Amino acid sequence: MQLRLLGLLLGLLAFVSALSAQGGQLLVVLEEQGERSKYSQFWSDLEARGFHLTFRAPKDTSLALFRHGVPAYSHLLLLPTQSKGLGPALAPNLIVDFINAGSNVLLALSAESSVPSAVSSLLLELDISLPPDRNSLVVDHFNYETKQAGDKHDVLLLPSPELAGRKGVKNFFSVDGLIAFPRAVGAVLGNASPLLSSILKAPSTAYTYNPKDEAEGVEDVFATGSQLSLVTAFQARNSARFTVLGSVEALQDTWFDASVQTPGASKATQTSNRAFAEKLTRWTFMESGVLRVGTVQHYLNEGIQKGVTNTTSLGAAVDVNPGIYRIKNDVHYSIELSEWVGDHWAPFTPPQSDAVQVEFSMLSPFQRLDMRPSATTPNSTIFTADFKVPDQHGIFNFFVEYRRPFYTNVEEKRTVTIRHFAHDEWPRSFVITGAYPWISGIWVTVAGWVGFVALWLYSKPAAAKVDLKVGGAAKR
Amino acid sequence: MALTDSDNPASFFFKGETGRNTRGLLRLIILCTIAAAAVASRLFSVIRFESIIHEFDPWFNFRATKYLVQHGFYAFWDWFDDRTWHPLGRVTGGTLYPGLMVTSGSIYHLLRFLAMPIDIRNICVLLAPAFSGLTAFATYLFTSEMSESPSAGLLAAVFMGIAPGYISRSVAGSYDNEAIAIFLLVYTFYLWIKAVKVGSIMWGALTALFYGYMVSAWGGYVFITNLLPLHAFVLICMGRYSPRLYVSYTTWYALGTLASMQIPFVGFLPIRSSDHMAALGVFGLIQLVAFTEFVRYQLPTKQFQTLLRASVFLVFGGAFAGLVLLTLSGTIAPWSGRFYSLWDTGYAKIHIPIIASVSEHQPTAWPAFFFDLNMLIWLFPAGVYMCFRSLKDEQVFIVIYAVLASYFAGVMVRLMLTLTPVVCVAAAMALSQILDTFLVASSPEDNSTDTSSSKANGAPSTANGSANANAIKDKLAAAFSPDTLRSTKSPVVGIYSYLSKSLIAGAITAYLLLFVLHCTWVTSNAYSSPSVVLASKLPDGSQHIIDDYREAYYWLRQNTAPTAKVMAWWDYGYQIGGMADRPTLVDNNTWNNTHIATVGKAMSSREEVSYPIMRQHEVDYVLVVFGGLLGYSGDDINKFLWMVRIAEGIWPDEIKERDFFTSRGEYRVDDEATPTMRNSLMYKMSYYNYNALFPAGQATDRVRGSKLPAAGPELSTVEEAFTSENWIIRIYKVKDLDNLGRNHQEAGAFEKGNKRKKAGKRRGPRVLRVE
Repeated sequence: MQLRLLGLLLGLLAFVSALSAQGGQLLVVLEEQGERSKYSQFWSDLEARGFHLTFRAPKDTSLALFRHGVPAYSHLLLLPTQSKGLGPALAPNLIVDFINAGSNVLLALSAESSVPSAVSSLLLELDISLPPDRNSLVVDHFNYETKQAGDKHDVLLLPSPELAGRKGVKNFFSVDGLIAFPRAVGAVLGNASPLLSSILKAPSTAYTYNPKDEAEGVEDVFATGSQLSLVTAFQARNSARFTVLGSVEALQDTWFDASVQTPGASKATQTSNRAFAEKLTRWTFMESGVLRVGTVQHYLNEGIQKGVTNTTSLGAAVDVNPGIYRIKNDVHYSIELSEWVGDHWAPFTPPQSDAVQVEFSMLSPFQRLDMRPSATTPNSTIFTADFKVPDQHGIFNFFVEYRRPFYTNVEEKRTVTIRHFAHDEWPRSFVITGAYPWISGIWVTVAGWVGFVALWLYSKPAAAKVDLKVGGAAKR
Repeated sequence: MALTDSDNPASFFFKGETGRNTRGLLRLIILCTIAAAAVASRLFSVIRFESIIHEFDPWFNFRATKYLVQHGFYAFWDWFDDRTWHPLGRVTGGTLYPGLMVTSGSIYHLLRFLAMPIDIRNICVLLAPAFSGLTAFATYLFTSEMSESPSAGLLAAVFMGIAPGYISRSVAGSYDNEAIAIFLLVYTFYLWIKAVKVGSIMWGALTALFYGYMVSAWGGYVFITNLLPLHAFVLICMGRYSPRLYVSYTTWYALGTLASMQIPFVGFLPIRSSDHMAALGVFGLIQLVAFTEFVRYQLPTKQFQTLLRASVFLVFGGAFAGLVLLTLSGTIAPWSGRFYSLWDTGYAKIHIPIIASVSEHQPTAWPAFFFDLNMLIWLFPAGVYMCFRSLKDEQVFIVIYAVLASYFAGVMVRLMLTLTPVVCVAAAMALSQILDTFLVASSPEDNSTDTSSSKANGAPSTANGSANANAIKDKLAAAFSPDTLRSTKSPVVGIYSYLSKSLIAGAITAYLLLFVLHCTWVTSNAYSSPSVVLASKLPDGSQHIIDDYREAYYWLRQNTAPTAKVMAWWDYGYQIGGMADRPTLVDNNTWNNTHIATVGKAMSSREEVSYPIMRQHEVDYVLVVFGGLLGYSGDDINKFLWMVRIAEGIWPDEIKERDFFTSRGEYRVDDEATPTMRNSLMYKMSYYNYNALFPAGQATDRVRGSKLPAAGPELSTVEEAFTSENWIIRIYKVKDLDNLGRNHQEAGAFEKGNKRKKAGKRRGPRVLRVE
């Protein structure tokens, strides 16, 4: 118990110090500890943002992703290795379990070192395929860096990602200037998985090429143009993030503020690699694009509760989140959404031309409504919808499912029962004008029967009396 | 006279006013003893097992009763049950017959009022035996209306008390609608006969009252609704129309229909459904007949009378044509499927597999009649024949009842229940006739004074008349030869002799004892199993209880979330709801064929097809019953074809019964089973991991008696959560969607360490990603 409390406290401490919404424990897997200095700016940037970095070699015996069955780290950064495998502590199964437990992975690849088969099989599970040749890299004869790769054309210079064109997508990765991708590995993404999205695609003139291939021309390229994804984002159903960065050299100090020049450009510019690396790690390590659901409320929008927005104003009279409604009830639904920005929760505003929707569904949706942001608090936006329950009894769900690329998934399901009219909730017969003939029919029948009985009793033949009278008359 | 009185002091109690009282008291004691016997013979299950609710439907009734007791009458009346038929829910208060629950609820509150707090479960368990005692009493009253002999009523009561045909539905714990409905049926008939005999509004109104109670208690009330009009109609056709009939019928129909319409489940059926049209038609007819009689009374002209007769038939024909038209146009609800299956036993099998799948809706096998009624079944025709001898109004009723109930009992097993009362009554009438004839009858007295017998002069023949010699023979002998052989004077053969009487009495006693033996044996062996608990005998003769059902239901109750939805075949719906207290998709109230077919489809399809269905219905657990290890034949694989058939009725393109049979038309589960069969979710769940119990290649299914394939089935979308001790119940948990968006087969292969093949050389055009 004490240990658990301590753990909770420590977790809170880590949470407070880190900028990530999830935690600050970052495991960096690096084969050659000597290479650490190549990325010194990157490390210091991360540490400045509150991450606690742990460096391990892949075959280090003390390396373990899990401790006591729970992830030992919140985030994992995998740098390329020269060896063919990643070792038992980083088996694909374990990495998948790590993701399933909600932790995030940033995988950096490099064309210089061949990709371990463990990694490529792991990526295949995510529907990401890498070129079959281990040394393939992406070249582009139009967007290359002229100063250092003037003859090989293997350092790509690309502008900031353009993602805003897609509906509901917010661009978390935009930087000013050009980003250099030296010796990048291009990946091809499958078409089926909705969890995958490309952050940065190669330009249309790029293609993969194996420099060790003896052949003169490239006959069957692995992929070309924008089918090649240089930076890929995968967000699992539990919102754990897995990012594939095609070029690890882009994170090195040498490229963080190198002076570069494209073939067409007149003068050299500084790379924006540092800014891009920050944006990329911010997103991967849950510092941006994180949504949180606050209070979910639904209640009757009828009677004294009609139009009530603040449920505390009526005191205890408001029955908030009841388990049962009746058909044709008017109901009010509200959900509180916050977005993590840097170091605090802020009100969430959906991107342009997008809306948060609520479904009222049983087997299939009976209502699907855009919710309007009705109020904001310092930390959240309250989205609300008012609607009428359908004329169908059953077990329904208030279901908010907000899945957008680069945002964590919001899936909020509240189950309620919709019952039928009770026997005393129907309008009474005298309220229905159409029932007047029937009601009057009943009363006419009743009156007629009483009248008939009265008449019958009145006109009863007085047999005995007549006898008496006759007897009396005879006597007389 | 005085001498004989002083000779026999006991005769004081058998004569005159005191005699009547004594006989009344004796009758009461006998009836109470019969009721006690009826109750006692139904307690086998409680003594052998425990005080537990049996079978399937009673579990729902029990659950509903608990709800009623807990929440009160109005909450029960408006009850919307969100724990069955997920996610549709059931308007339970409006779709059940509340009579049973309200009865036990009232008993519960009455006992509490009398400061006797009794657990509602015990009231429910013992309700059926208690009412069987009342049924015996009602049968006594009913039979006494039929027969002059007082013994007929008592015999009928004792038959009714222990006849297995009735016990089958009324043992302790069998808390079903029939438990009180048979009492109400017999009592309503008694009141009806009384009403027709007396012709009073009071008896007619009482008939209607009990008819209303019957309607609130059991769907079988339609039997009364049609039998009473038929009786009235036959009487009219026989020219036995009387004001008594008019009064009793119109009173019953008007009040009874009003009463029946108060039950929400019945509602407007009495004026809309075809099943009820006979009663309405006869009601109209009897008005016309009454009017005709009135007119004939006023104008006794023969021509006029024939004219009226003709017009009556014209009106009747017109009304019938109107009924047909209204039925065709849909104003009156068409005949229900269960009704059609009453006339055409093959109808249900073709059109409504869900009705045919219920075992109690199957046609009756002939041994069942002997099994359930024993010697009554051959006394029954004699009793019916005797009704023809004195064919009064009430005997006509017995004849009609006997004919109809015999037919229905032949069509459906469960309707044996409605046949049993009339068999008991008719058999009792026949038997009492025999007994009266042989035990009570004395030889006709000889008028001649020279009879040798000293006891002849004025001795009460009833008391010791059997001592008399055969008087007719005597007389004849005397007529032919005054002093003849001694042997002819008091012969040992003949109807009035001791020998014949003792022979008959002995035979009847033997038959009756055999009957009691048979009834006890049948009750104890066939009808007292709760079927929630299975009993078996160990080699040393001791009883072994197989309690897998309750084990599994309690596992569900204690290890799953209170709102975890359980998918199982509908047979187990009520039990899961009652014992495990978990929401179910379908249950024994088979009102929604499509929803049941959905479950059937999920069970009989491949996993890839079933999984989306289960996701859509928010299924958390799947429960299957598997008897292969124990040799329990009532398992789901044996019921599987019904699931397939019911699903095929809705999705004929996706599910085909033919695919589950081998090319030679066999239903197999072994190596030769069809791929459809072996890939179905039901097959996989039944045999999953079953191989592990046996040495390699030795897995055997003990129900089907076949060897199973060497490699067991693989499951990917569900995982085993629980298997009971004898593997009768297996519960599987439905997996969530894969976190990485793969399908479950791929995820499972990855878990096992199979590497996915790299996308090598692609063939055909490349599939480009579009965004």
